[in-house]
Amino acid sequence: MAENSPARLWTMRATYLGLALMIFFVHLLPMQIMPQRLAGPDVLTALTFAWALRRPDYVPMISIAAVMLTADLLFHRPPGLWAVLVLLATEWLKPRGRQVRENTFAAEWLTAAMALLFITLIYRLVLALLIVTPGMLSLWLMQYGMTVVAYPLVAGISYLALGVRRSTPGEYDHTGRPL
Amino acid sequence: MASDRNASDDFTGPLKRLLLVVLVLALSGIFLLWRIDSPRVERFRAQVVDSIVPRMDWAMAPVTASVRLFRDFQSYQRLSEQNAELRRELRQMTAWKEAALQLEQENARLRDLNNVQLDPRLTYITAVVLADSGSPFRQSVLINVGSRDGIVDGWATMDGIGLVGRISGVGDNTSRVILLTDATSRIPAEIQPSGQRALIAGDNTSAPPIDFLENPDLVRPGDRIVTTGDGEVFPPDLLIGQVAQDPGGRLRVRLAADYERLEFLRVLRDHGARQVGSPSALILPETIPDSGEAPSPAPSDATEPPGDG
Repeated sequence: MAENSPARLWTMRATYLGLALMIFFVHLLPMQIMPQRLAGPDVLTALTFAWALRRPDYVPMISIAAVMLTADLLFHRPPGLWAVLVLLATEWLKPRGRQVRENTFAAEWLTAAMALLFITLIYRLVLALLIVTPGMLSLWLMQYGMTVVAYPLVAGISYLALGVRRSTPGEYDHTGRPL
Repeated sequence: MASDRNASDDFTGPLKRLLLVVLVLALSGIFLLWRIDSPRVERFRAQVVDSIVPRMDWAMAPVTASVRLFRDFQSYQRLSEQNAELRRELRQMTAWKEAALQLEQENARLRDLNNVQLDPRLTYITAVVLADSGSPFRQSVLINVGSRDGIVDGWATMDGIGLVGRISGVGDNTSRVILLTDATSRIPAEIQPSGQRALIAGDNTSAPPIDFLENPDLVRPGDRIVTTGDGEVFPPDLLIGQVAQDPGGRLRVRLAADYERLEFLRVLRDHGARQVGSPSALILPETIPDSGEAPSPAPSDATEPPGDG
């Protein structure tokens, strides 16, 4: 029970924000000024999905919305669109986490990949409808693939380094509600 | 405990749903507002960037410097190879230097004869690159000068040699430069010596293609590309690069600016530049040019086919 104390909860919530800041920092380093042929994984989205599936209480809606909106503004994307899609996807994923935790890791991975595919398609569709250049399709496909591949890595590191593991069915938080 | 849990779920459930609805509406509202009134939201974006990125700078500068150091170290491994190459280039350069000195003297003499004054308006502000766009889909950099230093949207930026991009988004202490390689960048250009006009349209590759070229036969790989003063976008005669042909036969620009190592940029002060204040100013000019003469060709076109028949 000590593991689910309020102190631990708030530390992990702050850790999510700290990790997001670190990811912004690495992305913004002026290292790749030439256009890249390869698109790296969207680590921030993978991290958000992994945490939402494993420990929904560590990533409340407010922090997801704030982090994703800041990312949109900093990375020169259309502001708000990716944020709203990620928010909806995580809200869809959070109750799925309870079903998935009794299954294998493959099921969790598939669920996250499906959610990501779905919001990526909607993102491109909305941008196309509103006549905003969404960027090259090949880069998007590559980024999608890389993010899906990076998901187990992100989930593994969160588990090993930060102890973000799937809660077991008999577990309660400090107010006595089941996780 | 069970009843307690149910009660708290009953209490937090609708609240959570309400929060979700509010957040979704707020975020989609921001997106729609951006689509409708882009300059206003872009100004907001510039302010957010302005308040976040300079605070990261203390950590970014050393990390960037050490990564560069490491990359340089990797290149030391090819030292002897590079040395030989540099010696070869140096021999060529000595010949060029001789030619340049002679031309410079000749140029100075001719200027003196013509009493030429160089354009005094083109002064520049030097800026340091703080950050890149952070996304593979956009090509832009943030620089450490902003409206406090008198930067205005639309000004041209160069490295020492060639054009790098255009200022778009100015905060107090930072501003964003859209690079020529960005998919939204369109720069009117002239190809010398044939004098053909064209648009340099970025497409997220390192060599942007040349669009809207009137007569491609007059253009050869190796021709110089410079900016034109067309549309009051940029000051004329800034070097962009050289024409190159890709394997598909399409004409592209080999950019003169060294994008691999953008550390310092020059922002050219350009007080004649057209400024975009409201969204409609992007589309409509304030006064429609030649409005008196426009109708006259239309009737003559209409009467021509019967005359032919």
